[in-house]
Amino acid sequence: MTRVSVALLLAILASAMYLVAVQYESRRVFTELDKARSEARYLKTDFDRLQVEKRSQATPARVERLAREKLQMRQVSPGITNYLTASGEVAMPAHISTTTTAVQP
Amino acid sequence: MSRSIQYTSSPLLASRTPVWRSKFVVAAIALAFVGLCARAAYIQVFNNDFFQQKGEVRFARTLELPANRGRILDRNGLILASSVPAPSIWAIPEDVEMDAQERKTLATLLDIPAADLSKKLADESKTFVWLKRQVDADVAKKIASLNLKGIYQRTDYKRQYPEGEAAAHIVGFTNVEDNGQEGIELLFNKSLVGTPGVRHVIKDGRGRAIESFGETIQPIPGKDLQLSIDTKVQFLAYQKLRDAVISNRAQAGSIVVLDTTTGEVLALANYPSYNPEKRLNLSGAQLRNRALTDTFEPGSVMKPFTIGLAINSGRMSPTTVIDTAPGSVNITGATIRDSHPHGALTVEQVIQVSSNVGTTKIAMQMPASEMWETYSQAGFGQKPQVEFPGVVSGRLRPAKTWRPIEQATASYGYGLSASLFQMVRSYTVFSHGGEIIPATLLKTNEPAVGLPVFSALTAAKVRKMLQMAAGPGGTAPKAQTAGYSVGGKSGTAYKQVGKGYGSEGNRKYRSWFVGMAPIDHPRIVVGVMLDEPSAGKYFGGEVAAPVFSEAVQQTLRVMGVQPDIAIRPQIVADMVQESF
Repeated sequence: MTRVSVALLLAILASAMYLVAVQYESRRVFTELDKARSEARYLKTDFDRLQVEKRSQATPARVERLAREKLQMRQVSPGITNYLTASGEVAMPAHISTTTTAVQP
Repeated sequence: MSRSIQYTSSPLLASRTPVWRSKFVVAAIALAFVGLCARAAYIQVFNNDFFQQKGEVRFARTLELPANRGRILDRNGLILASSVPAPSIWAIPEDVEMDAQERKTLATLLDIPAADLSKKLADESKTFVWLKRQVDADVAKKIASLNLKGIYQRTDYKRQYPEGEAAAHIVGFTNVEDNGQEGIELLFNKSLVGTPGVRHVIKDGRGRAIESFGETIQPIPGKDLQLSIDTKVQFLAYQKLRDAVISNRAQAGSIVVLDTTTGEVLALANYPSYNPEKRLNLSGAQLRNRALTDTFEPGSVMKPFTIGLAINSGRMSPTTVIDTAPGSVNITGATIRDSHPHGALTVEQVIQVSSNVGTTKIAMQMPASEMWETYSQAGFGQKPQVEFPGVVSGRLRPAKTWRPIEQATASYGYGLSASLFQMVRSYTVFSHGGEIIPATLLKTNEPAVGLPVFSALTAAKVRKMLQMAAGPGGTAPKAQTAGYSVGGKSGTAYKQVGKGYGSEGNRKYRSWFVGMAPIDHPRIVVGVMLDEPSAGKYFGGEVAAPVFSEAVQQTLRVMGVQPDIAIRPQIVADMVQESF
C-alpha cells in the first residue's frame, strides 16, 4: 500500500513539474508569436511606406522634369507618333485619310 | 488523577496547569482556522469577481489594434494618398535623464533647436509632453536606438500624397488625427477610416505578452477608394494650366477634363495650389477648389444651348439666315451689341463668330419657359449631382420672373451663373448624342446613362458649329490641336470692380473655353478658366483656348485615341473678336 502511494506521489510530482514546464513553454512561445506578429505588422506598414516612396519617385512631375533636364527629351506629338492598328499595320500620322478636315466657314 | 497535565514524572517539576488552558488554546487555533476558511470562502466564492478583477488589472492589458486608413488610388491603381507610420515622440519630463551630448543629438534628430527642447522638458510637474508629432520612420528608429530614459514613442499615421500639388484640390487632406478635412478625404472619410480592433493579453513582469484571453476583435481596415482621376492627365492638365496662369499673369485658373462616355472626371485642377503634406501658411486662395466653388456668368458658352433648342424644336436649321445688321438690337429699350457688326449670318455662323445679336434674335422667337427648361436640363441652376465639399449650384431664376431683356441676355449667358464644372458637364449634351450624363469622381466601367435634352441629330449639328467656332474664322482657332479635330466655345466676361465693371484700361476679365474632341465622336470634354489674365491678352479664345488645345492633345494621347485628322504643320490663326 505504501509503495503504491509513493509511486502515485512521484507520478503527481512529475506531472506537476511537467505542467509547469509546459506552461512556461507555452508562454515563451506565445511571446515569440506576439513578437512575430508585431514584426509582421511592422513589415506590412513598411511595405506601404515603401510603396508610397516608390510612387513619389515616379510621379509624372518628376519623370517629366528628369526626362527634360537629364535626358533632353521632349513631349511627343501626333506628328512624330506611329500608330499601330489591331491588324498590325503601321499608320503614319501624315497618311491618315482625312474624312473630317476642319470645316471651312 | 488530578485535573492537570503532567509534563514530567518528577513531582518536583510538576506544574499545576489547569486543563482548560490547553483547551482554550485548541479552541483559539480552531477559531483562527474557521476565520481563515471564512475569509477564503469570501475571497473564492462570495466576492470572487472583485478580486479577480483587481488581479487582472495588475497583469492583464487591453491592446488596441489600429486600423489603417484606406488608400486613395487613381483609375490605374496608382497611389494618390496613403497612410504611412509616422511615430510621435513624447516624454515624461520628470523621468528624462540626458547628458548635454544626448540632448544635442536628440534635438538634431527631431530637427528642433536645442533651446526649444530644453524648454519643453523644463517643467517637471508635467507628466506628458509632445516633443514632436509625426516624425519619419527612420528618425524614430534612430531615436529609439538612443535608448533615452523618459522618452517614448507613439505610433501615429501620416498621410502622404505622392502627386503633391497637382492633385491637391481633388484629393484633399487629413488632419494630424488622420481625419479627412478637405476634398475626397473629407467626402469619403467614413469609408476610408477603419474600425480599430481590441485584444486582451496577460503581460509578465517584463511587459511581454504571455497569454491572450477573452474575445479578440480584429481591426477592420479602411476601404481603398479608386477615383476616376488619371494621374498623368491630371498632372499634364495642371502643368499646362499653371504655365498659362503664370504667363498670362492671371490670378488663378481651373481646368476640368471629363470622359464623355462614362462621365468620369479624368482631371480637375486649380492653380494656385498647395502641397497637401506641408500645409503651413496656407491661404484661402490656394485652398479654393475654384472649378467647383466659383460661379460666374457663362457668357457665350450658353449660346449653343439656345441655338440647339431652336434647331431641336424645328424652328430653325443651321443654314437659316439671321440678319444681325447693324450689329445691335433693341429689346424693350435696352440695346444688345456685337463687338463687330456682322451683317447677315447663318445660324451656324452666329455660333462661329459668337454673335450676341444673332443669338438674341433667335431666342426672342422662343418662349422663356422652354429656354428655362433646356437650361435646367443641362444642369444650370441645379445642384450638381457630384458631391464635394463646397460645391455650388449656380443660379438660374425661374422663367416666370424673366423680363424680355433678361430672356435676351440669358440666351447668351448673362443673368445666370454656373461653375466651370457645371459648364463642362452641360457640354456632354453635345458630346453624348444630345444626352446629359451624370459626372462622377469614382472609377466606373459602365457607360453613363444620360437624360435626353436634344436629339442626337441636333447634338451633331451643334458640334459642327462648335468646330467652326474653334476653326479658322471662329472666335477660338487657337483651340485647334495637331492630329485631333476639336470644337468648343470661348467666353470672356468683365469682372466686377467696385460697383461697376471698371472703366476702360482698368477692367478685370475672366476668360474661359469649353470644348470637346474628337469632334465626330467626342471622347472628352475639357473646360479651362483663367481669372484676371493681365498680360495684355484676355479673350477666352486667346488665353484659355491654347490650354484647352494642349490638354486635349495630351489627354487623347494618354487615352490612346488615334488622331482623326492629318497633321498640319501650322495651326491657322485668323480669328474674329468675340462679343462680350
